[in-house]
Amino acid sequence: MHLLLQILANGVLLGGLYALMALGLALVWGVLNIVNLAHGSLIMLGAYSGYYLFTKLGIDPFVALPISMVALFCAGFLIQRNILNLIARAPMFNTLLITFGIDVVLTYLAQMFFSADFRTTNPSYAGDHFNWLGMTLPLVRVLACGIALALTVALWLFLGRTRVGRAIRATAQNLGASRLYGVEPRLIYALTFGLGAALAGAAGDLYGVVSQINPYIGATLTAKSFAIAIIGGLESPLGVVVGGMFLGIVESLTALYVGPTYVDVASFGILVLVLVFRPTGILGATT
Amino acid sequence: MNNTPILEVRDLTRRFGGLVAVNQVNFSLHHGETLGLIGPNGAGKTTLISLISGTTAPSTGDIFFEGVSVKNDSAFRRARRGIGRTFQIMKPFPGLTVLDNVAVDALFGTASSGKSLHTAREEAREWLQLMDLGKRAGQRADELGGPDRKRLELAKAMAMKPRLLLLDEVMAGLNHVEIDEVIDAIKKVRSSGITVLVIEHVIKAIKSLSDRLLVLHHGQQIIEGTPAEVLADPRVIEAYLGRRRA
Amino acid sequence: MTARSGLIAALVVAALLAFVPWLASPVLVQFGITTLLLATLAQGWNIIGGYTGYASFGNSVFYGLGSYGTAIAMVQWHLPFGIGLVFGVVLAVAFALLLGLPVLRLRGHYFAIATLALAQVMTAIVSNLPIAGRNVGLVLPLLNGDKLFYELALALLVLATLAVFWLSRSRFGFGLIAIRENEDAAASMGINTTLYKVLAFALAGIFSALAGGIHAYWITFIDPVSAFDISLNVKMIIMAVFGGPGSILGPTIGAFVLSAVSEVLSTEVSSIASLFFGAVVIVAVVFMPRGLSDLVRRIRKAGWSYFSENVKAHRL
Repeated sequence: MHLLLQILANGVLLGGLYALMALGLALVWGVLNIVNLAHGSLIMLGAYSGYYLFTKLGIDPFVALPISMVALFCAGFLIQRNILNLIARAPMFNTLLITFGIDVVLTYLAQMFFSADFRTTNPSYAGDHFNWLGMTLPLVRVLACGIALALTVALWLFLGRTRVGRAIRATAQNLGASRLYGVEPRLIYALTFGLGAALAGAAGDLYGVVSQINPYIGATLTAKSFAIAIIGGLESPLGVVVGGMFLGIVESLTALYVGPTYVDVASFGILVLVLVFRPTGILGATT
Repeated sequence: MNNTPILEVRDLTRRFGGLVAVNQVNFSLHHGETLGLIGPNGAGKTTLISLISGTTAPSTGDIFFEGVSVKNDSAFRRARRGIGRTFQIMKPFPGLTVLDNVAVDALFGTASSGKSLHTAREEAREWLQLMDLGKRAGQRADELGGPDRKRLELAKAMAMKPRLLLLDEVMAGLNHVEIDEVIDAIKKVRSSGITVLVIEHVIKAIKSLSDRLLVLHHGQQIIEGTPAEVLADPRVIEAYLGRRRA
Repeated sequence: MTARSGLIAALVVAALLAFVPWLASPVLVQFGITTLLLATLAQGWNIIGGYTGYASFGNSVFYGLGSYGTAIAMVQWHLPFGIGLVFGVVLAVAFALLLGLPVLRLRGHYFAIATLALAQVMTAIVSNLPIAGRNVGLVLPLLNGDKLFYELALALLVLATLAVFWLSRSRFGFGLIAIRENEDAAASMGINTTLYKVLAFALAGIFSALAGGIHAYWITFIDPVSAFDISLNVKMIIMAVFGGPGSILGPTIGAFVLSAVSEVLSTEVSSIASLFFGAVVIVAVVFMPRGLSDLVRRIRKAGWSYFSENVKAHRL
C-alpha cells in the first residue's frame, strides 16, 4: 500500500510535467489545426536552453524559465510566420510533412551545436527531497509539477479572459469572421504558435532538471505529447492535465509492476487504443 | 414484374445526439416509379438518402430493398445489390479522364465480378454517348463545366447498372437551360428501367420528373401524393414559406 | 510518353543498372544498395499513401518486422535466407491484417499518428523479446558479396515498380484511387473499401518487409532502434512525395535523385544528410507540394510562376 501510494505520487508528479509538455501541442492543434511533429524538438531546445543558461551563466533553471520561454516563443513565432503560414491553407498532410522536416532540421542543428552527449541540468538542490505521508518526493519534481500546473491555469485564464486570448479563440472558430473584427490572422497564427513553442520551452527547461537530455529525445517526446493530448482530449487545458496525469500514473505503474522497459509499450499502446476506440479522448465529446 | 416494392422504408429514424434528423419515415417505391423528395433545408432529405444508400446507419426502423432487409448491409454491399446514389457535393475523380471516371463505376457496379478494365472502358464509352459526353471522354474530369459535371455524375451512376438510383440535388447551381438538359438526361436514365428517387429544390424539375412527391419537414414526412396535390397543400407552402400572414 | 513506353524505358535502365557492381567502386555499390532499398520503401509507401491516400507515418514497422523475421529465422532457427525472408513477410502481413483493420478506420492525421505510435510500440515490444535479442539485437551469419545484395535489391525494386504498374491499370488499383478521391462515393459505388485498404496496407508491408530482410542480412547486425528506424519514414515519404505520389516511377526517381544529392552533399560536409532531407522537405512542400511528376507536367506551360502559384494558393 505504501509502495502503491509512492508510485501514484511519482505518477502525478510526472503527470504534471507531461501535461505541460502536451499543452503547447494541444493549443496549436486545437486552434491552428496544425499537427506539429516538431513539437518534441521544441521541448528539446527548451531543455538545452535551461542547461546552457545554468552551466554557462549560472542561472538557476527555475529562474531561467521565463528566459527559455521567451527564446522559444521567438523561435516559434518565426517558424510560423516564415514557414508554416505559407502552407496554412494546404491539405493537412503537407503540414505533417513540413513539421516532420522542421523536426529533422532542428535535431540536426542541436546535434551540431550541442553534441550528442547526454546532459542534465544539475542545480545543487537536485538531489533534495522531502517526506510527506510516508512518501519520498524529490524537490525538483514537486517544483516542476507545481510550475507546470500553474502555467496550465495561466494559459486557461489567458485564453478565456484576455483580449489576445479571445482573439486567438475567435480565429480558431472562424478565420474569415475574425478578419472582420480587425484581427490580423497571420499575426494571430504566429503568436499562437509562438505561445505553443514557449510552453514547450518551459516543459523542456523543467525536463532537463528531472531527466537526461540529448538532441534525439524530440521524437519520443513528440509521440508522448500526442498520446497525452489525444488521451485527454483536445477540448481544453483541463483535458491535457487529465491526459498527462493518466499517462504519468500508467507509466509509473507499468514501470513497477511490469518492468521499466515496457513503459513505452504501455503509453503508445494506450494511444493506439484511444485512437481506435475513442478518438475524442477521455474528456472529449462522444460523436 | 412482381408486386414487391423495390424499396420499402419502415419507421425509419436517425438520431444524432439530441437531434432527430429523420423521424419515423414510412413509404414504398415501386419499380419504374420516380419519387420526388422535397422539403426546406435541414429537413433531413440528405440524411434519408444516406440511410437508404448505407452511408449512415439507422437508429431505429428498417429498409427493404427488393423485399430483403438491408439495414445491416454496408454501403458497398447495397451498391452491389443495386442501390446507386449521387452525392450533393460531387467530386469526380479529378486526376482521371472523364472516360476513366465512368469506367471505375462500371468496374464496381452490380454486374462487375471479373470485369476487365478494357471492358469497363468500352461500357463507359457507351454511357458517355448516352449522356452526350462522348466528345469529352479524353478530358480530365476537373476540366468540365457545371452541367457536364452533372451529366458525368449521372453517367457514373448509370454505369453501375443500379436498379434504384438516389439523386441528391443534381440541379443545384444550374441555369434554366442547363436544368432542362439534365431533366432530359434523367428521363433517359428512367427509360432504361431504373427506379429513381430525386431530391430537388427546383420545382420545375420535380414536377416534370416525379410520379409522386414526398415532403419532409424537420425530419418528418408531412404529406405524400401527386405533384399537383402536394404542391397545392397549405402545409407544404407553410413549410417552405412560413405561416401565411392573415 | 505513355505509361507502357515509360515502363519499358525503366526496365531497360534497370537492366543497365544490373551491370553496375562490375563497373563501380565498392563504395558506390554500397550506396547503390541503400538507394535501391530506399526506393523500394518509397514504392511501398506509394501503394498505401500515394494510391490509396492513407499517409502512413509508420511503414518502418514493416521494415523492422522483415528485418527481425529474417534474423530470427536465420539466427535462432538456423533456416536459410529465403525462408527467413518469407517469415519476415508473414509477420508483416499478419501485422497489416490484425492492426491495419482498426487503424485504417481512422482518417487523415489520426491515421498518421496511429501508425507513428504503432511504430514506437513495436520498437518497444521487440526490445523486450528474448528471441529477438532484446535491446542488444541479433548478429546474422556473414555473407560476403555486396554484388549479390545489390542484385537482390535491384530485383526487389523492379518487382515493386511492376506491382505499382499493375495497380495503375487493374480493378484493384482503380478501387484504391477511388478510395483516395472520395471514400464515401467509393463505397456507394460498390467498392469494399475496408478490404481494399487492408490489402493495400499488406502489399506495402510485403515490399517493405522484403527490403528489411535484405538489409538485415547485408549489414549482418540489427537492433530495435536501427531496424525500426523512424527516420526511414520521413525519407520514404519525402522520396515518394517529391517524386510524385500516385505515379508509377515517381517514387523511384525521387529516391534516386534525393539520395544522389544527399550523398554528394555528404562528401562535402559530412553527416549533413539529415539537414538536407529536412530542408528538402520544407522547400518541396512549400513550392512543389504535388511532386516532381506534377512539376514536370505543368512547368512547360506555367514556367517559374508554377512555384509562386503553389505558394499563393496555400498561404494564409
